[in-house]
Amino acid sequence: MSKFKKDSSKTVPGVNTSSLPDIVFMLLFFFMVATTSKEVDPTVSLTPPVGSKTTDLTPYKQRSEIDFLYLGKPRNSARAADFKLGYALSLDNVVQATADELYATTMVGQWKRDKFEEKKGRVKVPIESIITCVKADKGAPAGLIFDIRKELQEVNGLTIAYAVRDNGNI
Amino acid sequence: MAKREIPEINAGSMADIAFLLLIFFLVTTTMDRDQAYIRNIPKKIDIPQDATEVEERNILAIRANSQNQLMVRGEIIPNPDDISEEVIEFYRKNEKQNDPTNNFPMYSRVGMQVIKDNINRIDAEITSLESQDAPVEMIDFKLNQLKEWEKKRQSLLLYGGEQLPEIHFQANIRIEVQIATDYELFAKIQTEIEEAIYELRDDEAKRIFGESYATLKTRFAQDQSKEDENKLNLLDILYPARIIEVTPKK
Repeated sequence: MSKFKKDSSKTVPGVNTSSLPDIVFMLLFFFMVATTSKEVDPTVSLTPPVGSKTTDLTPYKQRSEIDFLYLGKPRNSARAADFKLGYALSLDNVVQATADELYATTMVGQWKRDKFEEKKGRVKVPIESIITCVKADKGAPAGLIFDIRKELQEVNGLTIAYAVRDNGNI
Repeated sequence: MAKREIPEINAGSMADIAFLLLIFFLVTTTMDRDQAYIRNIPKKIDIPQDATEVEERNILAIRANSQNQLMVRGEIIPNPDDISEEVIEFYRKNEKQNDPTNNFPMYSRVGMQVIKDNINRIDAEITSLESQDAPVEMIDFKLNQLKEWEKKRQSLLLYGGEQLPEIHFQANIRIEVQIATDYELFAKIQTEIEEAIYELRDDEAKRIFGESYATLKTRFAQDQSKEDENKLNLLDILYPARIIEVTPKK
C-alpha cells in the first residue's frame, strides 16, 4: 500500500524555450558593443611586442583617420628568404611580391596617397594628421620601420604609430 | 462575415537566427583594441640647413645596436627597464635648482611680466606686418608664437606662484637604433620614455590638481573642456616630450 504510486500516464513536460531568442539576442548585443571589427586578417604572421601607457586608437578608427600597415614574416616560411631580412610588408592584405617591390621607393608613399584620395570628403583632417599605424613583428628590424618613415615623409604623411599589445596594468 | 482566426507565427526558429548572427559577430570582431604610440615625423625640408649645435647636456641619447645592447648617455645599460629612471633623472636633476656643474639640461623661469611683455610685443609685430602686407607664412608664424605665449600665460595662472619653470628649449630625447635592432627593443624604448613622462606628469597633476593624469586625459577625451585643455597644456609645458628618432645609417 504505497502512497507514492507511480503514475505511468504522466510524461515529462517540455522545457519552455520561448525565452531562448531573448537570451541569445542579449549575448549578441553584448558582443556587438564590447568588440570592434577586425581591420583585416594580416597575410603575414606577426606577434606584437608588449608595452604600456599606450594610446587607444579606437577613436581614430571610428573617424577612419588611420591606415594600417603590417610588417611580419611571410606565412609561407619557404619564401622568407625572398625578402630582405626575412620580413614582408603587407599593404591592404597584399603581400609585396618580391624583395624588389618591397623596396620600390613609391610603394608605401603611393599607397598612402591612394588611401587619402579614397577618403576625401569623409575625413576632415589633412594627410599630415592621418595616422599610419605600423604593426610589426617583435623581431622585425627597426631599419625597415625607418624605411617606411622615409616613404611617409615624402608624401607628407607625418603621423606614425607603433603598435604594441598593451599589457593592461594601467 | 465570420471573424477569421489569425494563426500564430512560429517563433521557434528565432533562436537559430539569433545564434547565426551571434556567431557571425564572434568571428568577425576582436576583443583587443588597437594600442600604439603615436609619433610625428619631421616635415621634409628641401633646402638642407646647417645642423644647429645642441649642448651635450641637453641630449638624452638612447642607443641600441644590432646585438640589441643598450647605451644611455654613454653608459651601457644591461636592463631596458632602467631607461625610464634615466629619463626621469634627465628632467628632475635641475628642476628645483640649476647646477651648472652637472651634465643635465638647465631650467629657465619666466615670470608673468615677461610673458605679458612678449604677448604685447608679438601683438604689435603682427599689426605692423599686416599693415605692410607681409607674406601669410610670416604672419602665421607670429600667430603661432602668440599662441605659445598665451598658453604659457594660462599655464602660469594655473601653476600658481611667481614663475613657471621650463626645461631648456633644446632638451630632447634621442632614439638612435641600427638597421638590425629588433622592433621589440625599439618599442621597449618607446614604452620606457612614455612611462617616465607619464610618471612625471602624473606626480605634478596630483600635486597641483589633486587628480591623476589618466583621469584628466580620459575626461578631456570625453568632453573637451577648456579647463582640462589648459591643465594638460601646463603639464606639457612642464615636461615636454621632445622625442627625436634618428634614421639609422646604411
